[in-house]
Amino acid sequence: MRRVRLLAGLAALLAAGLIVSLGVGAVPIPLGQVIAALWGRLTAAPPATAQDAIIVWDLRLPRALLAAALGAGLASAGAAYQAVFRNPLADPFVIGASGGAALGATLAIVTGLPLVMPAAFAGAVLAVIAVYLLAQSGGRPSAINLLLAGAALSTLLSSAVTLLMFLSDRNLHEVFAWLMGGLAGRSWPHLRTTAPLMLAGVAGLWALARPLDALTGGEESAQSLGLNLARARFAIVAAATLATAAAVAAGGIIGFVGLIVPHAGRRLVGGSHAGLIPISALAGGLLVLLADDLARTVVAPVELPVGMLMALIGAPFFLWLLKRG
Amino acid sequence: MTTLEAHDLTLGYRDAAVLRDLHLAVRPGRVLALAGPNGAGKTTLLRALARLLRPRQGAVLLDGRDVWQLSERDIARRLGLVPQNEATEWPLTVEQVVALGRAAHRGWFRPYAAADHAAVDAALEQTGLGPLRARLLGELSGGERQRVLIARALAQEPATILLDEPTAHLDLRYQGAVLGLARRLAHTCGLAVVLSLHDLNLAALYADQVALIADGGLLAEGSPDEVFTAGHLQRAYGVPVAVGRHPVYGTPLVMPAAERESNHV
Repeated sequence: MRRVRLLAGLAALLAAGLIVSLGVGAVPIPLGQVIAALWGRLTAAPPATAQDAIIVWDLRLPRALLAAALGAGLASAGAAYQAVFRNPLADPFVIGASGGAALGATLAIVTGLPLVMPAAFAGAVLAVIAVYLLAQSGGRPSAINLLLAGAALSTLLSSAVTLLMFLSDRNLHEVFAWLMGGLAGRSWPHLRTTAPLMLAGVAGLWALARPLDALTGGEESAQSLGLNLARARFAIVAAATLATAAAVAAGGIIGFVGLIVPHAGRRLVGGSHAGLIPISALAGGLLVLLADDLARTVVAPVELPVGMLMALIGAPFFLWLLKRG
Repeated sequence: MTTLEAHDLTLGYRDAAVLRDLHLAVRPGRVLALAGPNGAGKTTLLRALARLLRPRQGAVLLDGRDVWQLSERDIARRLGLVPQNEATEWPLTVEQVVALGRAAHRGWFRPYAAADHAAVDAALEQTGLGPLRARLLGELSGGERQRVLIARALAQEPATILLDEPTAHLDLRYQGAVLGLARRLAHTCGLAVVLSLHDLNLAALYADQVALIADGGLLAEGSPDEVFTAGHLQRAYGVPVAVGRHPVYGTPLVMPAAERESNHV
């Protein structure tokens, strides 16, 4: 089957991308030494060079895995929201996750609390809960109410972030770096705390593939097929929020991947979410991984913001896709 | 035998009641057309029958039980809805859309089994969609898309099927194809078919039973001959109407008979 072949091909590409990523950076390491370092760690044999082992295993591997998980989470969440809201412009941040995370992270940074990651995660989750409750006027929240409440709350939260930045002159550079997204300095502890949540979110969305397919045809239509709308939408938003909040907590605001990858995925495997969610996850992972590789090599040893790079590569690619029809 | 019944039904949105104290019984093996002026409540009634709109008063009874005591899936196993055909860009194939009808039986998480594939094949066969099964919905014509939605409802294997304006945006040929299919489903397969129809002449030609809805209630109900009289239609639409006969089938043929130069609405 074409879909299975595509998935396998993309998975292989992602695996190859992960290995290659371990060699690139401010200190290039040849492929053979990368593999030797990995093998040495896995088999507890004495490493060829201690420096290689540290760079490969302690610095680059967790960061590469985190980039892949983060891309997978954001792209799957974007695919799900585009179906739920029947809106091609929907992305993981449409119902307030990024605004909430930004406020949480900014608060932690300007007050000097060493809690940026949990604050961002909590901010994202709380913002989505607030949007869900605000959209609830008169029974259940309609999709359009969710979108509007999301837009309004996101605006409110980002002005709060701007206000905080305006009032504070501490750590402004750190706030900027966070808002532009990046994985500098992320290591095993970050991976261990956030990647499982991202992957759980992706798995949840994959399991919800059939309800997502039904929702593409409209809410009443899905309901007439036997779908409990309120429950289905809650489950989808919960899974997508888990993935998004964890991704934002790990890497700051990395836009675009959640918007374009699902569109590219639809061109590859069609709109059925049983194929679209895994293909988006793999392609999103690969895209963020490559963007992060570029971010840490282009002007090494200085790092570029991944979010900015992503848009720089992603937007022209997307426009080319559109043009090709 | 499944029965669908509207009992003492009052429906509305926000403050305004659209329909009041309506009684209606839907019978198996028959095509029931809901006819009436724009805004009279045809779609509102269909939505209430499909458990998409909660009645203000009264109840919709499916096999004697209030539909609001049944779950979405209970309803979907017994009642298929063919929504109004919107030209949306569904990036799913015909087969994928029709298979969604099986969720009523298989659930939302278990993989489809042999019985599901058989039901999907049968639904595609009945609607003549076999050759189009791998095509994307967005690539189809309006008439083909309408048939896909009918096939999806058939895959639910319901005893009753509701169609909301199934001929909207369709040309003469597809109008006949879709309504002919509805008639065949009722007469050959024994389904109860309810459809809302704008076009009185199509309703007269294809329906066994007509419910004429106007002024917030059921103005007349019965065979097309009984319901489509000049008197009823004049009261429903507020304009002079002449009723003739279909040259081939002898069913009522309704024509406006107001002065042709007048332009008051």
